[in-house]
Amino acid sequence: MSVFLAILWKDLVTEWRSRDRITAMLLFSLLVVVIFHFSLPGGATRDTQATAPGLLWIAYVFSALLGLNRSFSLELENDALSGIALSPVDRGWIFLGKAASNTLILGAAQGVTALVFGLVFEVDLAAIALPLAGVVALGSVGICSVGTLFAAVAVRTRFREVMLPLLLLPLLVPVLLGAVRATAGLLETGALAFEPVQLLLVTDATYLIVSWLVFDFVLDE
Amino acid sequence: MSEPALRAVGLGKRFGRSVALAGLDLELPQGTSLAVLGPNGAGKSTLLRLIAGLARPTSGSLSVAGTPAHRPAARALVGFIGHASLLYSNLTARENLLFAARLQQVGEASLRVEQLLETSGLARVADLPIAGFSRGMAQRLSIARGLVHDPPLLLLDEPFTGLDPRAAAGLAARLASLREAGRTLVLVTHDPKRAAELADRAIVLAAGRVVFERQGIATGAADLERAVLAAGDAAT
Amino acid sequence: MPTATLAMPWIRRSLRTSGLILAALAIAWAVLVVRAPIDAMQGVIQKVLYVHVPCAFSAYAGFIGTALFSALYLWSNDERFDRFAAASAEVGVVFCTLVILTGPIWAKGTWGHWWAWDPRLTVTLLLWFVYLAYLLLRSFTEGSARTARFAAVYGIAGVLAIPLNYFAIDLFGGAAMHPDNLERGSLGAGMGWPFAVGVFTGLAAYAHLLLLRTDLESLRAEAIETGQPPGA
Repeated sequence: MSVFLAILWKDLVTEWRSRDRITAMLLFSLLVVVIFHFSLPGGATRDTQATAPGLLWIAYVFSALLGLNRSFSLELENDALSGIALSPVDRGWIFLGKAASNTLILGAAQGVTALVFGLVFEVDLAAIALPLAGVVALGSVGICSVGTLFAAVAVRTRFREVMLPLLLLPLLVPVLLGAVRATAGLLETGALAFEPVQLLLVTDATYLIVSWLVFDFVLDE
Repeated sequence: MSEPALRAVGLGKRFGRSVALAGLDLELPQGTSLAVLGPNGAGKSTLLRLIAGLARPTSGSLSVAGTPAHRPAARALVGFIGHASLLYSNLTARENLLFAARLQQVGEASLRVEQLLETSGLARVADLPIAGFSRGMAQRLSIARGLVHDPPLLLLDEPFTGLDPRAAAGLAARLASLREAGRTLVLVTHDPKRAAELADRAIVLAAGRVVFERQGIATGAADLERAVLAAGDAAT
Repeated sequence: MPTATLAMPWIRRSLRTSGLILAALAIAWAVLVVRAPIDAMQGVIQKVLYVHVPCAFSAYAGFIGTALFSALYLWSNDERFDRFAAASAEVGVVFCTLVILTGPIWAKGTWGHWWAWDPRLTVTLLLWFVYLAYLLLRSFTEGSARTARFAAVYGIAGVLAIPLNYFAIDLFGGAAMHPDNLERGSLGAGMGWPFAVGVFTGLAAYAHLLLLRTDLESLRAEAIETGQPPGA
């Protein structure tokens, strides 16, 4: 547990010092909003609000990919990852620490992105803020769980920027489905539908447990 | 302390075409120090990483004070100082050590960190990001990091590389005092003279096997040197 | 001297048997398919299913095989399991490609369009992506031990995608347009046998190709290790 907190603390402090990950993710998300506006036939406005949930989650996934890659490329400098691997604890805790910091950093970017989306698509975010935050959190846990696991893998391959999306996207379909449906439901009715949330919970639990169990093998040499 | 600090039986690390270690047998009693020499690619770093629990053997067994090296409990007994510093450039020296202390679940981490900063002579620069450190300072911090949990077994992978004579002398003195304090040391080095100076035993590795072994090498630097050269020739 | 380890001579011996079984089944299947009645509603195009369905079974066998061998590899650290895992994924991808190619051919002839986002189709497509990614991961990782381990982890995660995606897409996906003609009674007379034999043929093909591909890897490993052509 203390190792989990130590890694979480270290990642957050490192990120705070440079703020490069969060800046890149934010900038990227904002760019994506602009591009979406140009690629939608009617532009990004109230009229095309139905497309907003899907687009929002696309923006989230791609910005998560940026952040995930970076979280481990930092560990490769000076072989710091070995330093972490030396810790005399179950390596599942190491996974949890990294996944938690990734989720939090992604969460910060997601909050701002949601605001911008809300502005552009003229959604009344205040009314659905809390449940929306819940859905975003569940979705992020799903993305960052299996995402952290495979970021640790991808970053040590020859084609790391390409490898992570290729590995991750098919596995994220259940997360995306649940998250987009839940978000769309919220926008339409203001209430959370049970099924998407159930899907998210099942997927998150599965991915968290499996990642915890196999992370040891990923850190091994 | 009846268990040897280190015991390897038929230790092998291979996969498909690459054989890093082939059938290594080694037993190191507590408190002795071992120098490991040999040409590049002989398997010295692999051996150290196996002992540290960073890699798993593909054959044979390896234990640290009786516990299989790959288990978390064994990792608590080992301090590893590798080629790379294992440090974070945009954290300060103090933060790096604190992080390492917490990773190793050291009790009273802050106190321990202050102690280490003192003994490493880094107390004055403790709050500077280490990006600006000289090689010697980084090395001292790296060693402090390896010692943070006061491990009985210390592994060092070519720690003298890139150090100027003064820093090297400081390091040698540090290692000598650790040795005197009863720790078990395994030192990978290219320098037979250092080996003779700092270790009780030496082995020379080539292509994953032990090709030369010597106990009580204080007088044997020349022998060692010959063995290393021979191993290097054989490898080419 | 490390022995010509982990070469698996038993595979070569088994290949003869598996090849014979495959040939026998394939002939039986071909005969049955040709002689099977033409479906009243769908016409001759329905016979594509006699290829499509067995390929689907083999594709899923391949993916489950990869996951199983991957788990065995991680548990035992024995590289032979990794060879099977890699071979299984390759064979699985080939069959999966056939499924994705033959499906639309049949669909165009019967439903009238090439593609539909129904659950089975979508999940099979996703699985195809997962296993292509698996193969890409293997080719982009340096160091065979690391490759094996990373691939094994991904192979296990990938097989989780099957139930999770079915669950997900079932909840929300497109209308299920896949004919559920695997239940008895909904098949026309004379169609049961070609399907059954077809599935067995497909699985035999999977097994034979798996052994063949793994044998290739073992021979390669042996040749590299001993520096001599295998069998010398």
